[in-house]
Amino acid sequence: MLEIKNLHVEVDGQKILKGLNLKINAGEVHAIMGPNGAGKSTLSYAICGKEGYEITEGSIFFKGKNILELEANERAGEGIFLGFQYPVEIPGVSNMNFLKAAINSIRKYRGEDEMAAVDFLKLIRAKAAELEMDPEMLKRAVNVGFSGGEKKRNEMVQMAMLDPIFSVLDETDSGLDIDALRIVADGINKMRSPEKAILVITHYQRLLDYVVPDFVHVLSNGKIVKSGDKELAHQLEKEGYAVLGIDENAA
Amino acid sequence: MSNKNYFSSEHLASHFEAIKPQLPGGDVKWLETFRENCMERFLETGIPGPRVEEWKYTNLGLLKDKSFEVSENQTDIDQSFIDTLSIPGLKGSKVVFIDGYLSKTYTSIKKEDEIILSSLTDLVKNNPDRAKALFNNHNSASSLFNLNLALMTGGYVLLIDENKKLAEPIQIIHFASQATKSNALRTQNFIEISSGGGAQIIENFVSLNKDFKWRQNNTQITLAKNASLEIYQFQNESSETLHMAETYIDVEDEADFKHFSLNIGARISRTELKPTLIGKHANIELRGAFLARNGSSHDVFTHMKHMVPEGTSDQVYRGVLDKGGKSAFQGRVYVAKDAQLTNAEQSNKNLILDRSAEANSKPELLIYADDVKCAHGATVGELDQEALFYLKSRGLDHKAAKALLVEAFVSEVFDDIKIEPVRQKYLTLARDWLEQGE
Ligand SMILES: Nc1ncnc2c1ncn2[C@@H]1O[C@H](COP(=O)(O)OP(=O)(O)OP(=O)(O)O)[C@@H](O)[C@H]1O
Ligand SMILES: [Mg+2]
Repeated sequence: MLEIKNLHVEVDGQKILKGLNLKINAGEVHAIMGPNGAGKSTLSYAICGKEGYEITEGSIFFKGKNILELEANERAGEGIFLGFQYPVEIPGVSNMNFLKAAINSIRKYRGEDEMAAVDFLKLIRAKAAELEMDPEMLKRAVNVGFSGGEKKRNEMVQMAMLDPIFSVLDETDSGLDIDALRIVADGINKMRSPEKAILVITHYQRLLDYVVPDFVHVLSNGKIVKSGDKELAHQLEKEGYAVLGIDENAA
Repeated sequence: MSNKNYFSSEHLASHFEAIKPQLPGGDVKWLETFRENCMERFLETGIPGPRVEEWKYTNLGLLKDKSFEVSENQTDIDQSFIDTLSIPGLKGSKVVFIDGYLSKTYTSIKKEDEIILSSLTDLVKNNPDRAKALFNNHNSASSLFNLNLALMTGGYVLLIDENKKLAEPIQIIHFASQATKSNALRTQNFIEISSGGGAQIIENFVSLNKDFKWRQNNTQITLAKNASLEIYQFQNESSETLHMAETYIDVEDEADFKHFSLNIGARISRTELKPTLIGKHANIELRGAFLARNGSSHDVFTHMKHMVPEGTSDQVYRGVLDKGGKSAFQGRVYVAKDAQLTNAEQSNKNLILDRSAEANSKPELLIYADDVKCAHGATVGELDQEALFYLKSRGLDHKAAKALLVEAFVSEVFDDIKIEPVRQKYLTLARDWLEQGE
């Protein structure tokens, strides 16, 4: 489904990713771990097409299509979703209008008709309830004044609404209380299916207890330095990155 | 005339002499004298140049050697066209000006409004004493205000009795036709609301003509104790228009004045609002948005005068400047020595969508009382790139994402408008403007 080869990414002239390879098949859940500043968020931005993340070498193919030529919104249209590590506040735009615009933009990209207003309302109520989000929050401006955990939950509501084929969830578990973590994890597990794939970026084993990954990778200094199964995460939790010869202070 | 900061304005004096006999009320002696006095006052200084502080962002040099022509338009316009300029869903009286003259054909005044709403020329004819009283005192008004008084071809008069509140908003349509030979359209309006009275007015400025036009539309307003007035303006003139609207508002005890404006058209627009709080506990809210691109420029000049204690005023203006657009907001707040416990706020934020755009913001606080709350804020910024990416990552294309952000930025000004069709009209016009961008 997603195939990244020899990816080199520069930001403001600084080399961040330095030859990263990653292959994710449909039906799989991958987890990426790694020290702060390793380049995990950079990878997520490169996949989603953020401006300023210059691909100097390498390729990203999604379902056989070279997506490096696509704008961020076109990648969303293709079915790629990014759960942001730091969700952005958008004053003056209500969550409701934002989601309506998002859903209909994606439908338009796919040549589908706009969603009927009643269907939209039904869907959003259902998804907000599943993720135990107060419906009042849907009326508020996107992420404005939301607590850290509420922002992350809002990312999950968006993911559930947009029903992506491939999702990158960048530290969606950070800042969540124990109950919220379980709710969010349930939400992620609901998205698991033989046709879909998920890449979770996390620092903690506790998310992976709920969302059990098929593969775990360690990203360090712009490259994947080790891959394994879920046991790798347990090992890292116990022993830290030092066992891999990674100095945590110098990503 | 010797003042180098003003443009030579003799050509306007000759223009006045030439058209004087054909101006409405030209046969009324006292009105003629009034016009002459106003012309004289105008000529004491003339047209302000960019070295006059208040005019530093808007250069009226284009008026220097223009010749002006004024004539009443005879061409017929479709009723259906006038309807398109109206706000749907509103049932109140409608006053229509075509090329600066009140059109009897399209004006429809509701039976219940007949005694309060009339054309300026009708008032001069039917109630000269009342008209004289209105025309009484403009010594302190600006030179251009006096010019308009000298040359006005029409206007409306709204006189509201004690405790009378209009049920429906009145719509005023200022239309410049394609056919007219006039290149100067001048209307002068008067509004007096007696104590406890209230009204809402919606003013729409539209022009089709692609040639140069100079429009002046000035208004003199008095709000007595406890009176309230809301004015909603839409300015969508054609790209060669010089649009000027200057309004003086005297506000007495506990009276309430609200003004909303949207400037999206014209080559140059200048909106001047000059409220004076002369009674305690008066409240004034000025809200507006200006959107400019392609050589268009908007200049909003406010002069809030707190003369007495315990008044409140709040100004919120938002500017969006696209490629080749320019704007200025000058907000002057004066708080007299006696005006203790005044609360005066002012905010102007500008969004620059292209490097070639220009936004000027100049708050000016002249505070002579010591126990007051005065806050002001002015910003000029660009679109939030992080927000733009966030929206794009959710599927919105660049243009839609930008439009959503700009709309959110602008709509803050119009969010609390209670008349829903009016709020919708603001949003629609702003959206259309955005739609036309790149
Ligand atoms: N605009 C920029 N200019 C220069 N360096 C940048 C820029 N943006 C990011 N970086 C650097 O790129 C490196 C990778 O950042 P990234 O956000 O991808 O790390 P991360 O692995 O997600 O870290 P964390 O676990 O803390 O979220 C960091 O050293 C960061 O400082
Ligand atoms: Mg990160």
